[in-house]
Amino acid sequence: MSSSPETPVIEVQALKKRLGTQDVLRGVDLQVRRGETCVVLGRSGCGKSVLLKHIIALMRPTSGRVLIEGEEITGLPERQLLDVRRKVGMLFQSAALFDSMTVEQNLAFPLKEQGIRDPKVIKERVTEALDMVDLLGAESKMPEKLSGGMRKRVGLARTVVGRPRCILYDEPTTGLDPITSDSINRLIRRLQKRISVTSVVVTHDMKTAFHCGDSIVFLHEGRVYFQGTVDQLRASTDPVITDFIEGRSGDAD
Amino acid sequence: MLTTLGRSALSFASYLGEVALLMRDTVGAILLGKIRWRLVMFQIAEMGFRSQLVVSVTGAFTGAVFAAQTYFQFHKLGMDSAVGPVVSLSMFRELGPVLTGLMVAGRVGAAIAAEIGTMKVTEQIDALRALGVQPVDYLVVPRATALMISMPLLVVECVGFSLIAGWFVATQVLGVQEAFFLENMRRYTDGYDIAWALSKGFVFGVIIVFLSCYEGLNAREGAVGVGRAPTEAVVRCSLSILISNFFLSFGLNIIFPTV
Repeated sequence: MSSSPETPVIEVQALKKRLGTQDVLRGVDLQVRRGETCVVLGRSGCGKSVLLKHIIALMRPTSGRVLIEGEEITGLPERQLLDVRRKVGMLFQSAALFDSMTVEQNLAFPLKEQGIRDPKVIKERVTEALDMVDLLGAESKMPEKLSGGMRKRVGLARTVVGRPRCILYDEPTTGLDPITSDSINRLIRRLQKRISVTSVVVTHDMKTAFHCGDSIVFLHEGRVYFQGTVDQLRASTDPVITDFIEGRSGDAD
Repeated sequence: MLTTLGRSALSFASYLGEVALLMRDTVGAILLGKIRWRLVMFQIAEMGFRSQLVVSVTGAFTGAVFAAQTYFQFHKLGMDSAVGPVVSLSMFRELGPVLTGLMVAGRVGAAIAAEIGTMKVTEQIDALRALGVQPVDYLVVPRATALMISMPLLVVECVGFSLIAGWFVATQVLGVQEAFFLENMRRYTDGYDIAWALSKGFVFGVIIVFLSCYEGLNAREGAVGVGRAPTEAVVRCSLSILISNFFLSFGLNIIFPTV
């Protein structure tokens, strides 16, 4: 389907998801334009990751629609989703590297799946991606030998190596030390500039939000509670938001 | 009481249904030509080739003890020469396939469930899907193809070792006349018995691979969940092999009748 420049790359309409007896998402609307980075904030368990998994159709909504470049993906059968998924890369919270493969094989995997057979091209693209995350020389390491931060970076390299048009980040800095977090944030920013991808970043790390976000969506109790720019978020006087930004639990001491 | 019974019947039916869906997806993928032969070869080496020691030792000692017991009983009746065919027929038709099935269920079924289960809980299966790869194509199809090829061969290997061991014990240790042993074994064992062993091996391979993949793909979060997957896989595979073997024997008796 052709998409005009105004068509949002990612569009979520009235998304509802029920898991067991719990309503995780209660009607979420979201639009992300080309080249934009949208940060989704919210407390743990508010449905951020669930929202992300719907955008790449790893989960099916109870009701509502998800459109990628104007094409509805909600009802597509698995095999037809494969093409959609090649447009969208995802960095998993745990990096989800294939632990039976070396770093190089992990990065070559999406390329081979795209039908690239020439070993020279594969080698070039893998080197380029590893260079981007400053991990040249780690090609032959197995994932279990890597530290958490390195794994995340390899995961990021594997996500970008296939040159997706959108990247979804599931808590890219959770569990990392402040310095590694900062390097990941810079990497996300660099990727936006260098290959101008459209991104959705799910996080509860305010530094990531302020550093990377063009627009911010704040999820609260399964709904979009706030939507706006970073400055609007900072200027907000709403107690739910200020408590979150400043990390106050709201309990009396 | 009735509700509990009804509920477990329902969950059993839905379990069977889900395994059937997994089989349908796998067969569908195979028919679409989605077989990754490199992975199939790797799995044949991993599951088939490496099961040989277990299977041949099982076969050898079962054949040996079976020959000895048959000899102890038949010797009283002066039927020493019947030891050969008794060992051969029961190994080909029942013991060979069932014992191979149980050993492979323990070795391969557990490994499949543990590996796929770990991939499930560490988001690796989601990662496959996110990279545009069907988990069934990548994980189930190669294992299924490999085991459907390997299992019949492993059964034949098990039976082969059992016959050699049976021959050794009967003729070299217990003094059964070698010529009678071999001649009677040859006369009473025919191609149908081998077909019987191969068919059962194939069916048990199918049972092992699908039940184990199912347990892996449906593993629950956490150490307990991943730990349960292989246990469940081995228990379910073993019971299914023993139960289906009974019905298979009746079915196969129609296709390959005993003459």
